[in-house]
Amino acid sequence: MKRSIRKILIANRGEIAVRVIRACRDMGLTSVAVYSEADCTAYHVRLADEAYLIGEALSSESYLVHDKIIDVAKKSGADAIHPGYGFLAENATFAQRCADEGIIFIGPSPKTIAMLGDKIQARRAAIEANLPVVPGAEIDAANVHKALETAADVRFPILIKATAGGGGKGMRMVEKAEEFEEAVKRASSEALSAFGDGRVFIEHFLQRPRHIEIQILCDHHGNCIHLGERECSIQRRHQKLIEESPSPFVTEKLRQEMGEAAIKIARSTGYVGAGTVEFMVDQEGHYYFLEVNTRLQVEHPVTEMVTGFDLVREQVRIAEGDVLGYDQSDIRFSGHAIECRICAEDPEQGFVPSSGVLKNYRIPSGPGVRVDSGVVIFSEVPVYYDPLIAKLIVWGKDRDEAILRTRRALDEYRVSGLKTTLGFHQAVMDNATFRQGKLSTSFLAEEYPDNRFIQLDDTVRETAAIALALDKFLRARKIAVSNNSSSRRGDSNWKQFHRRKNLRNFGGSR
Amino acid sequence: MLRYLVTIDGHEYDIEMEYRAEGFDVSLNGKKRKVIQYKLGESRSLLLVDGQSHEVDVRGGCLDSSKIIFMQGQEIPGQIEDYNLAQLRKTAGMTTAAAIDRTVRAPMPGLVVEVKVAKGDSVTKGQPLLVIEAMKMENIIKAQGDGTVKEIYVEVGKSVEKAGKMLEFE
Repeated sequence: MKRSIRKILIANRGEIAVRVIRACRDMGLTSVAVYSEADCTAYHVRLADEAYLIGEALSSESYLVHDKIIDVAKKSGADAIHPGYGFLAENATFAQRCADEGIIFIGPSPKTIAMLGDKIQARRAAIEANLPVVPGAEIDAANVHKALETAADVRFPILIKATAGGGGKGMRMVEKAEEFEEAVKRASSEALSAFGDGRVFIEHFLQRPRHIEIQILCDHHGNCIHLGERECSIQRRHQKLIEESPSPFVTEKLRQEMGEAAIKIARSTGYVGAGTVEFMVDQEGHYYFLEVNTRLQVEHPVTEMVTGFDLVREQVRIAEGDVLGYDQSDIRFSGHAIECRICAEDPEQGFVPSSGVLKNYRIPSGPGVRVDSGVVIFSEVPVYYDPLIAKLIVWGKDRDEAILRTRRALDEYRVSGLKTTLGFHQAVMDNATFRQGKLSTSFLAEEYPDNRFIQLDDTVRETAAIALALDKFLRARKIAVSNNSSSRRGDSNWKQFHRRKNLRNFGGSR
Repeated sequence: MLRYLVTIDGHEYDIEMEYRAEGFDVSLNGKKRKVIQYKLGESRSLLLVDGQSHEVDVRGGCLDSSKIIFMQGQEIPGQIEDYNLAQLRKTAGMTTAAAIDRTVRAPMPGLVVEVKVAKGDSVTKGQPLLVIEAMKMENIIKAQGDGTVKEIYVEVGKSVEKAGKMLEFE
């Protein structure tokens, strides 16, 4: 069953497309990019060996169109498709189409994707594999009366989720019975427009839980290992913002238990490839199965930083039919890694997306710093897609070092032209509760109830004021200079050169 | 010497500035500062304020009194006025705030998924007007006050830019 992969089409855009193209280069494989009209000069298009236009900006006209992707794969002679995350990554129909066309889909089988993508079936599989689950039930959005009865059994507060969903889409938290009906309708309509499936189910909402997930790797030959956990508790509206590995909460014993649980569900569902088993963990350390993500996660680099694995490479090897070639006892963890998602969003305005052109963009570097960026200077961030523009991933020998280094790297980052979450991340890295590792998915709501993250200190405010005054002053002076330019004409270039040199010397005399 | 009134994050700064061969003499609310500026290209520059190094990017139209300063990973809005004009304005009791806007603008770029009102409808404060999908979430735009819908500028399935006109009240 061994099939060699020489050329990979990346059915995605942004930082994840860049990430996969890099892995292709590292493995000596040819990469094929696809792009929409909004992405003609996008970074992933510039980096790939080949690139093909697949349609209009709306993803429903481009990145989501099965025919167009398959067409490019055939035309370019790609023998495999890497879906990244989002878009077609967890689309069983697309995975099946690839199989039918004789193209390797880099991910689990269509059957596994369909089963684990359906949250009800995944829950059932978890119960059968003896994994603890949160109390919950499926409801009929059309029959609100009956649904409300079920809700009372599950106990408020309640979380409404799309059966076919993921990534927080169609998800709603309801505290009281009175808010239930409107929330069910809204969630169902969101689910219908997003996934073409309006089914929803409800779950009891755990108080102040942690979100902790286990990375797994399984080959076609029955070998399955885990690469430890990632804690992703810093979330807003179920969107992860900061992730780390290891979790400051997880003990060696809990890691082993959760790792074994993850492997159990993977084996019982015949899982093949890289995957993530998500858990909610309460403050007492009880863990509950949440879902399995049958794809590469946004936050996969923190696992790479502490294990030394290249997860995309492993995905490709597994897809080729390779044997893992290592077992659980070979896995070693070293140090601590933190990822900050740099999004084109305004944290102070409830994280509303901000689009436009990056007038300045410079990424940090130095020891322990990795940036997976989907943009470069002058890139345009279009409105049509996810606001994630880059991920800052930082490694330190322990959590304290990783936090300080992350703070340093955030300070080095330069972005103008767009609002980003950089200032938000700086605030969290300075937050005492975060530094103590006391995390929960309610962290942001508790620590920043009014969405005010950024506290400008006097120095920053004063410097900003001086910068503004200087800007105005120089413009005024420029006008004055050009008004009597005749008297200036006598200045030789040499004179100006020395004047500038003197200015520099003054600056260097500290 | 030029004198300005700068407002940053609710704090007012009275700034006097003079050019000297070796840099700028700045007085900030009476505190003396020596500032050296090197252009880094476009609107970016390196400021050494009494030797403290800061990279700043001041953006906005050249005649705008409101600008945005990008520094240390943050985007800081600021206002600048000629000091004497500002004093005049203050004694006259004027504010720079614009008149109350009857236009509903998009708080974020996104796709219009639902328009809940029609031209001529009278709406009450808090009533949902439109639903915009932005980055995976549906956001309900509600009426900020009572009024009658005069014009609707958006259509279901079309995208709106941030601050794009969506709807107007009479």
